[in-house]
Amino acid sequence: MQSREKKKTPTMANWLASRFIDAHLLEEFFGDLKEIYEYRISTKGKVYATLMYWVDVLHLVIGFASFNLFKRRTNPAIMHKHYLLIAIRNLARTKIYSIINILSLAVSMGVCLVICQYIYFELSYDCFHTNYKNTYRVIIEEVNTDLKETSPLIGYSFGVSAKEDIPEIKHFMRQQRFNRGAIVTNPANQLIFHEEINDLLFVDHSFFQMFNFPLKKGNQKSLFDDKYNVVITEKTAKKYFGVDEPIGKTLRINGPPSPGDYTVTAVLEDLPLNSHLQFDFLIPIENYIEFGWGGAVKKQGGWNGFSVATYLTLDESADPDLVRQKLNRLIAQHNDNGIVKNVILQPIADIYMKSNIYADAGFISSTGNMQNIRVFSIISLFVLFIAWANYVNLSTARSMLRAKEVGVRKSIGAFRKQLISQFIFESLLVNVISALVAIGFAFLLLPFLSDIIGKEIQLSLIQNPMFWVWFLAIVLFGSLFSGLYPAFVLSSLKPISMLKGSKAVQVGSVNLRKSLIVFQFLASLLLISGSYLVYKQTSFMKGQELTIELEKILVLRSQQVAIDTNIIQSKFKLFCNEMLGLHVVSAVTSSTVVPGQFGVNSYRRLGQPESATPYTRSIFAGIGFSETYGLKFLAGGPFTEGMKEEAVVIINESAVHTFGFASPEDAIQQNLVLGGRQRTVVGVVENFNWHSLKEPHIPYVISLTNVRQNPYISLKMSVSDLAGSLAQVESKFRALYPDQPFEYFFADDAFNRQYQSEVQFGKIFFSFAALAIFIACTGLFALVSFSTTLRVKEIGIRKVLGADARHLVLLLSKEYVALISLAILAAIPMIWYWGSLWLSNYATRIHIGLDLFVIPALILIIIAALTVSQKTFTTAQANPVDSLRKE
Amino acid sequence: MENKSLGEFEELVLLAVCILEGDAYGISVKREVEKHSRRSILLGAVHITLYRLQDKGLLQSKMGGNSDKRGDRRKRLFRITEVGMRQLRMAHEVRQSMWSLIPQFN
Repeated sequence: MQSREKKKTPTMANWLASRFIDAHLLEEFFGDLKEIYEYRISTKGKVYATLMYWVDVLHLVIGFASFNLFKRRTNPAIMHKHYLLIAIRNLARTKIYSIINILSLAVSMGVCLVICQYIYFELSYDCFHTNYKNTYRVIIEEVNTDLKETSPLIGYSFGVSAKEDIPEIKHFMRQQRFNRGAIVTNPANQLIFHEEINDLLFVDHSFFQMFNFPLKKGNQKSLFDDKYNVVITEKTAKKYFGVDEPIGKTLRINGPPSPGDYTVTAVLEDLPLNSHLQFDFLIPIENYIEFGWGGAVKKQGGWNGFSVATYLTLDESADPDLVRQKLNRLIAQHNDNGIVKNVILQPIADIYMKSNIYADAGFISSTGNMQNIRVFSIISLFVLFIAWANYVNLSTARSMLRAKEVGVRKSIGAFRKQLISQFIFESLLVNVISALVAIGFAFLLLPFLSDIIGKEIQLSLIQNPMFWVWFLAIVLFGSLFSGLYPAFVLSSLKPISMLKGSKAVQVGSVNLRKSLIVFQFLASLLLISGSYLVYKQTSFMKGQELTIELEKILVLRSQQVAIDTNIIQSKFKLFCNEMLGLHVVSAVTSSTVVPGQFGVNSYRRLGQPESATPYTRSIFAGIGFSETYGLKFLAGGPFTEGMKEEAVVIINESAVHTFGFASPEDAIQQNLVLGGRQRTVVGVVENFNWHSLKEPHIPYVISLTNVRQNPYISLKMSVSDLAGSLAQVESKFRALYPDQPFEYFFADDAFNRQYQSEVQFGKIFFSFAALAIFIACTGLFALVSFSTTLRVKEIGIRKVLGADARHLVLLLSKEYVALISLAILAAIPMIWYWGSLWLSNYATRIHIGLDLFVIPALILIIIAALTVSQKTFTTAQANPVDSLRKE
Repeated sequence: MENKSLGEFEELVLLAVCILEGDAYGISVKREVEKHSRRSILLGAVHITLYRLQDKGLLQSKMGGNSDKRGDRRKRLFRITEVGMRQLRMAHEVRQSMWSLIPQFN
């Protein structure tokens, strides 16, 4: 029995053959196939036999299906040619409907395509590295008493010991940013620019083995021979050297921690956009370890304190979980403060999409948002379904015209199966044409999307063969989905009723058509009110009265680099005085961050264990900070001359509670600890809006620091016309800092950049809404114009009997008003539910008011009324003689 | 009928059917042709050719000879017809006469 089972021929192949080959041939074919199958099993083995069995079956199927062509009476090729001809004639005969149909399908498919491309791009981050599957970033999870904190930072010795101790680790790479950005100069041509924090990275040499950033110029072997070597990207090479050869040239990088003249050893090709690491300069990490934080990094040792991000590439055969346990043990050996630290290995492909769970957003230039991706994919499917619903609607409505054709076909002997296949064939044709147009549309739409999301996305999806499989599948599914119902309805008609008399036959369920319209309008309504909600919430947040007068603050970028801190100090003091001397400036300060940005440092109250460190955000700033940003003191006072740097702090109201002080007054003269140093609270301020209003008030600690650490100078202007007073500021700045570029921005711009994702979300939502309305309205227009043509005689008679145009318009539109009202009623609970769900993400939020339902509904009603009335009005206005005369 | 010339593969299949004399069916023909021409042939190609030749009237067939090897299914046994034999001969003669005209061989 078992041997028999083994010799069973492949069932699928047999089924395929029996499906396509005539029954009288099957016996001998199966006989032959079985004989040769067994022979092959005995000589070449089962796999080969099965494979060849399939080849033979397919060959027979192909051979004998075409063989049939010449033997059978009916000829499918000719029949399909005929179907094609009829389909094209029908499309051409009702040009408007066909264009509406194809256009709406094509537009929605095109949008879906673009959204797919966007999602594909977002999910493809870092997958271009050959080793991406076994390359991880190390995340350290600290388990405190009640909260878990995660951070990608760990001491610089961790990577080295991990590589030595654990054989599964193939490479390790440490990475850190230039802590304040830098001023970079090409000494040869005096080109000078500010570079941002994320632009300059310290990395290990293994960076180039772990990641696939191809070299454009330079020798892979001698990239980091010297500590003062730098690798730059092509873009940067153009920026500083133009067309000149950059290799071997010098770039002066001026900024903490390791200013100096660096020699360019290589140029990398421009980075792919879907890399979470976006940088312009790569510098050996040894510089950071030696000089970082004024040499403090080295002094703190390799296991604690200032730290670096570590990436590991594991051996292909390694078990990441086992490695993780080994790393945990390694960390435990070097742990001295009793906090349990766990290692998490985060695959690099996850960094972009899932980093928000690790609270290190500032460390990566941009992060993805899974929620957006989900919302967009659902919406794009929505849009596609609306378009298909349109097709179903139009083709069933139009089917009355085709009733005669079906009647004739049936009476000369067409089978129902043939009729169904004819109509499905037609829908396939429409879908395929739309799909082709859609690809063209996608190319047109892509720059638009790139503009909204600020990334130059290419249509790279079409190079992926899997995409074409899916694309084809969706087109086929769409053809079936939209063609099946009209096909069944049309083919079910009785020939007698179709051929008898000239009266048009009402086919298909009117209810279905109506419910499709309701669905379309419901979807449009949801999208309109969605975009209205996003818009309203965003402008609400932007329009909130902030505690800081951002519109009066001008921010200058500056790098205070000099060997002697005293010189910096006195120069900055001079600058401040000069600025305050201008009548337009009322206060000056320097800080590490500007509104919208913040650091996270682990301050704790003196006397509390390290495990009781709460989450606080930190700002390092100079004297004058509270005046410039208009902070209101509840207790204590601002930083003043003579206070010791790194020794005094100002905290906000919510930090008072977080640290457990009884009252603001109570907090004054208490001590906080950061990095082993005590800091005295000298002031408590009211909560202020430093970050997006999306979040609630969060504890902030402002620490007095040396101007040397602060890359931003904020000026509070006494006039609101900032641009007008710029020239005065610039001339003073240039006179004092001749070696620095004058770069500035406005604090409210920086602050509003936090709402960028909301603005993008709103824009995309709005585009979808517009699209959905467009499609729904084209459908409505086609339907209205069709049903009015059917009632042309009725209207003629009504007019003759004395009905006036107004009544007629009402009569013709009545039906649609009911449909739209139904859609509006159905939409209200959905808007309410989803709207409050979305709003719950925001600490400062609008209330869902009546306007959220009324305004979108009004918009929809107006657009729909315009669509409907245009057609009904012309029909009602027409001379009844014209419509009644022709028979 | 007479004017229809044989294709090369058709000729091989016809010859194989002649050789096999009453035991010519899909697989045996395939083996025979493979053996003599030393190339591998797909089963389907043989079947298609056999049926085409039958349509042209050069072969005739009947069902018969089931065996356990075939899962108790019968085979279709092909036999050459008069016309087929004539065609085959003619093809041979054409070649023969042309060969004889090649100068080096005379």
